Amino acid sequence: MKVAVVGKGGSGKTTTAAVLARTLARQGVQTIALDCDTNPNLGLSLGFGEERTESLIAMRDAVDDGDEEHASSADELIERFGIDGPDGVRLAVVSAIQNPEPGCP
Amino acid sequence: MRVAFVGKGGAGKSSIAGVFARLLARRGGRVLALDSDPMPGLAYSLGVPSADAGMPAEAVEEYDGPDGRQRYRLKSGLDTASAIERYATISPDGVRLLQLGKARGVKGENSYSHNAFQGIIDGLADDDSWDVVGDLPGGTRQPFFGWGRYARTVLVVVEPTPASLLSGRRLARLAQQLSAPRVAAIANKIREPSDVALVERRTGLQVIGQVPYDDSQGDADRHGLALLDLNSQAPMVAAIETLVSSLTAAEIAVR
Repeated sequence: MKVAVVGKGGSGKTTTAAVLARTLARQGVQTIALDCDTNPNLGLSLGFGEERTESLIAMRDAVDDGDEEHASSADELIERFGIDGPDGVRLAVVSAIQNPEPGCP
Repeated sequence: MRVAFVGKGGAGKSSIAGVFARLLARRGGRVLALDSDPMPGLAYSLGVPSADAGMPAEAVEEYDGPDGRQRYRLKSGLDTASAIERYATISPDGVRLLQLGKARGVKGENSYSHNAFQGIIDGLADDDSWDVVGDLPGGTRQPFFGWGRYARTVLVVVEPTPASLLSGRRLARLAQQLSAPRVAAIANKIREPSDVALVERRTGLQVIGQVPYDDSQGDADRHGLALLDLNSQAPMVAAIETLVSSLTAAEIAVR
């Protein structure tokens, strides 16, 4: 199953995505939660806590910094940059805007 | 006065911006409200019936840039003043509302409206006749790309929840490194006095406005009405009136 949750700001996307992910994981499904918001908060709703949520390095940043090969597969990126949380959901952040630097996020 | 409201989705940017713009207009200024959210909502809190009157493609023309790439600018004969005259919706209390408009289709189809809106913002640099109240989409993306660059004060709307506080801190960091001379927080949906201190501590910003949690706003949202039209005596309205007063006073002091 591959689900994307979209909607207007404040309508409950992150909350819905987090509950979906943990519910699936509890049913025994291997679940990856991808935070594609440049202001990533999904970790908070999944129950990772603020410190772990903020410690996640966005995959895009890592690739842009040259730490990672562009050719890495999706699986490798999730393996390297994801972290496991409650109910075994693995969380990865795709692209975060942390500082005002030139370039397209 | 030129302000831009930023913050996490759902923090209350549009709700506050709509009331703010109308109260400012009641003091006699010419107020331009800017909604650059591709999922617009400011029209509702201003009390404008048409929530979708985005910038049309006809407002821009294409030209060849110096690098040979195709670019867009406001079409010949159109400048910021005439574009506002032509494309802004008149809202209650005389506020002019200019909307980017809903995202339509794939990326390329949005270029016209994006460039039209950006062209008008560019022109505001030389047109000081407007009080500007901007409402940016939730999150960090538009602030990062300078969509609020007309603002002299960036107001980060923060509610006392972990996600909103975290977003507020990120936005504070972004805004302080960008061009706005002043960045401050508006603490929204305040239920107890300690909430304000929490916002101050966790964002590192001075809180210059405190807006109480107000069920009237929920009612207004549900009915698609402007809070001012539903209940002009709501505590939230009084709090925003105080904010308008203090920002106006601060501006006079600077002059």
